[in-house]
Amino acid sequence: MTPSRFARLLDTHGARPEAWPTARRAEAEALLGRSAEARRQLAAAQRLDAALERALPQPSPAALARLQARVAREIARSPLPAPPHPWAHAWARLGLALRPAAPAGYGALAAMATCALWLSLAPSPAVSDPIGDPLAPLQTLPLAEDPL
Amino acid sequence: MPQPPMPIPLAQSPDAAEALLRRADLLAALPRAAAPPVRPTGLMPREAAEDDTLMAWAAAGDRAAFGVLVARHGERALRIALRVLGNAEEAEEVAQEAFLRAWQAAASFDPARARFTTWLHRITLNLAIDRSRRRGKAVNADEEALARLADPAPGPEAAAVAAEDRAALADALARLPARQRAAIALAYEEGLSGAEAAALLDVSERALEGLLRRARLMLRRLMTS
Repeated sequence: MTPSRFARLLDTHGARPEAWPTARRAEAEALLGRSAEARRQLAAAQRLDAALERALPQPSPAALARLQARVAREIARSPLPAPPHPWAHAWARLGLALRPAAPAGYGALAAMATCALWLSLAPSPAVSDPIGDPLAPLQTLPLAEDPL
Repeated sequence: MPQPPMPIPLAQSPDAAEALLRRADLLAALPRAAAPPVRPTGLMPREAAEDDTLMAWAAAGDRAAFGVLVARHGERALRIALRVLGNAEEAEEVAQEAFLRAWQAAASFDPARARFTTWLHRITLNLAIDRSRRRGKAVNADEEALARLADPAPGPEAAAVAAEDRAALADALARLPARQRAAIALAYEEGLSGAEAAALLDVSERALEGLLRRARLMLRRLMTS
């Protein structure tokens, strides 16, 4: 493991070795034994972890008490939970069961299939004797009338 | 759905009888909404019940059972919202909204699909991230928040340095994109595994690692700049 890969490991998993993936932990610890740069990186990551743990705000007990009181008051005024539609669970289960079968980008695939179906069902434009009159397509061009 | 009360005519022939039996089988196979179990009184205190049981009782109209869920999981919901939004009042509003949505949807909650906490905290996170994005800026690094972060340390000089560091970190957190800030909030949430955190953000564990890597990298850069 190189110091740059070690820095990436620290950014991904933090400074606690127990949070590192088992497969890379031994490699990282070996690097720490031989590289002063890796030890500096670890110390910096530990400082960031400690600073974050201190800086991330905590809710106050008063806020929790207020939340409990407000939710109790609101649900006392709210109607009882509405029963689900009888087919809701069946549709949800069907969707869940079919999900692994759906390819990546299946939305795009569905759109393409719809377009293909539409194109195949759309009536093709009638071609009227293209050999008899080679200038026939020109007759459909919007020509400006002669002002004179 | 209850079976239709339509009277079944007497079968006129063996074939007709068989057809009627087949229709009865089909009707029985239709999915129907299971009646939520009502809490048997005097048997189990609500505080001892599992989350799924409490939700089933709540779906049957037991408001006190839902109150136990709020007491049990309200703190984490508040903390997650507070760490994404950085503002205590907004965090309380978001947590309250998440619980009210959970109450309204209690009857549709399916414990076979997700744990109650995953379901609830996912609602909380989505609401907090949406609100943070709508607001157009990240955490409110207001004076009150900075004062709260700057705990007194031994010695006035050390206190000043620590307060400055914390203010810089709070400011750096405020500048992160909402999802990266949410990933950081979950990473420092005690007792929450990487898989659970990824489920809350509705991403793969690999994607969560990417969010965390970018967030830590940006925090270090912002703090040193």
